[in-house]
Amino acid sequence: MAILINENSHVLIQGITGEVGSFQAKTMQDYGTKIVAGVTPGKGSTAVYDIPVYDFVEEALQKHRVDAAISFVPARFAKDAALECIDGGIRFLVMTTEGIPDHDAMEIIHYATSKGSMILGPDTPGLISPGKSKLGVHPNRMFAEGRVGVLSKSGSLSYDICRVLTENGIGQSTVIGVGGGPIWGLSQKAILNMFEEDKETDTIVLLGEVGGTMEHEAAEFIKKCVNKSVVSMIVGRTAPKGSQMGHAGAIIEGSEGTADSKINALRNAGSFIARSPSEILEIIKSVRCIK
Amino acid sequence: MRLLEFQAKRLLAQCGVSTPESILVRSQEDLKDISSFPVLLKAQVPVGGRGKAGGIRIATQMKEASQIVEELLNANIKSYPIQAVLAEEKVETTKELYLSVLIDSLTGVPLIMTSSAGGADIEEVAKENPEKITQKHLNSCTYPSDYVIRYLAKYTKLENKLEDFKRIIRQVYNAFQKYEAQMVEINPLALTPDGFVALDAKILLDDKAAYRHRDLVEKLQGEQKQLAKTNKTTAEQLAEKRGITYVTLGGDIGMISDGAGTGMLTLDLIYDAGGQPANFCELGGLAGAESMEQALEVVNKNTQVKVILIGLIGGLTRMDDVAEGILNYLKQYRHSKPLIIRMCGTGEEIGKAKLNEAGIEPFVDLEMAVHMAVQQASKGTSWQS
Repeated sequence: MAILINENSHVLIQGITGEVGSFQAKTMQDYGTKIVAGVTPGKGSTAVYDIPVYDFVEEALQKHRVDAAISFVPARFAKDAALECIDGGIRFLVMTTEGIPDHDAMEIIHYATSKGSMILGPDTPGLISPGKSKLGVHPNRMFAEGRVGVLSKSGSLSYDICRVLTENGIGQSTVIGVGGGPIWGLSQKAILNMFEEDKETDTIVLLGEVGGTMEHEAAEFIKKCVNKSVVSMIVGRTAPKGSQMGHAGAIIEGSEGTADSKINALRNAGSFIARSPSEILEIIKSVRCIK
Repeated sequence: MRLLEFQAKRLLAQCGVSTPESILVRSQEDLKDISSFPVLLKAQVPVGGRGKAGGIRIATQMKEASQIVEELLNANIKSYPIQAVLAEEKVETTKELYLSVLIDSLTGVPLIMTSSAGGADIEEVAKENPEKITQKHLNSCTYPSDYVIRYLAKYTKLENKLEDFKRIIRQVYNAFQKYEAQMVEINPLALTPDGFVALDAKILLDDKAAYRHRDLVEKLQGEQKQLAKTNKTTAEQLAEKRGITYVTLGGDIGMISDGAGTGMLTLDLIYDAGGQPANFCELGGLAGAESMEQALEVVNKNTQVKVILIGLIGGLTRMDDVAEGILNYLKQYRHSKPLIIRMCGTGEEIGKAKLNEAGIEPFVDLEMAVHMAVQQASKGTSWQS
């Protein structure tokens, strides 16, 4: 069944009438995602690629069953949209938007937790369960159905790895991006847990980067609770200390956020360590041979 | 944005926090306003560890102050030229504490940290005696409850100062909320007979929220422009003007990527292949033709660059758009450094076709493109020759 979404998930898109929202709606629909409704304030009673558009989430929910939502709402309005989604009782929201103020993100995640909703992101590419459904912006053709679960902080890095895996005949169960940070809804640890329990995943690829301590938490979790093989790669090994490398999360301070400390923690937790996409491929191949 | 000390203290004072009497000194002339000695003279630079780098001095009389100011204003701290000195009353203290409020990434809630072992060595304390730092995540996003403050007071050994402690924590927390800071840190926080006084302060503001604090941010930026000059390269200046993520790295392979993760991977692969990246430059998840063109202009400005490696793997970013940007750039810069392009992802058919028409054959595999770039750079060829 892969994690979080499957071929039967009914999806609502917030910000569906914008340039990005409508383009991605089409791409997701082409991939087979069941998109049942869109919401853009002021654009109610219109349609995007035959998807009915509503002014409010509540109006959409009166007409449709919705299991998950994805938001393309611009940063300034993203909090309002997320709160509307959570209040509607939608249990899973993917927030693709980059540049949401941190205090807004904190509020959204806190509110979601208190209401029992899960947030993926913000600043996430979303997730794709190849061959089943896509709730994200992934370039479709780089993915193929298979049994490797991929979790990444960065979207682009997961595309880079999956392109190489797919080309070499190794498909994925679900590929999921945690988000650029510095604040996240679902953490690496939470997603590792889902992959560990997922019957359709047999190997896990963890893609991390310098900065923060999330990979340390993930390493501890792997040590204690993950029996499946994990292959990890931390990027930004060669990034200078103190510089911010694009992601707000990727700034090295002190010794905890360094690539070395993360690589050591993951290695000690029993994870394989790779340095390049082709090394990840080699490791997965050899792990499968042993099995 | 990282505020300078005097800016951070001003914001804290506006929230009721006590700070020492001070004046900002930008030339010898400003010294005449100093009314009493001894006085601390503190370099205003946007970087930590300045005390250990000689950026905090003490003067017991005017002549000495004048000499020190002369020295400081002609010095650098960690490559930041000192443009201003904060002359500050020396506060007598019985105890130096540590206090910060920040956003905790792991939990996504505010975190308050306090310690009875404040001062310049707090990072050592955190490493070697972490039990001396008390942490409390907040139970709501709105306000630190009484019990949180009582807890912090107990383990920071301030139970006998509970009322003062409550006040300072709430003041600092208010500042954190009001200005949408990512971090507010007071270190050291002095305990004096008159209550708590912030001896040094650091505030990181969230640039993403700047639009909600326009007047304040404009004022702070204006001051920093005058006072916190850096030795920026022309490429860095252009990148800043255009709002492009750009970090100078010192090698000869210019690098542009359309995502932070793939960009960091590219850097690692360049080093592993024996090359030296000149920079890190990332377009962000949603880039168009214009930002591609501008990024190329920025990277090409660096005269050390021998070859430019463009790694594109579009999700949100569409390859047909960025291909347009590359072609526009090449029309304008006929003598550009050679480009090595990896292109795949959303809209790649059209993007590749556009590049092919211009005689460019992009790579699909990143590792192959990196090897080609490293090889080219070591040959040092260029289209100009």
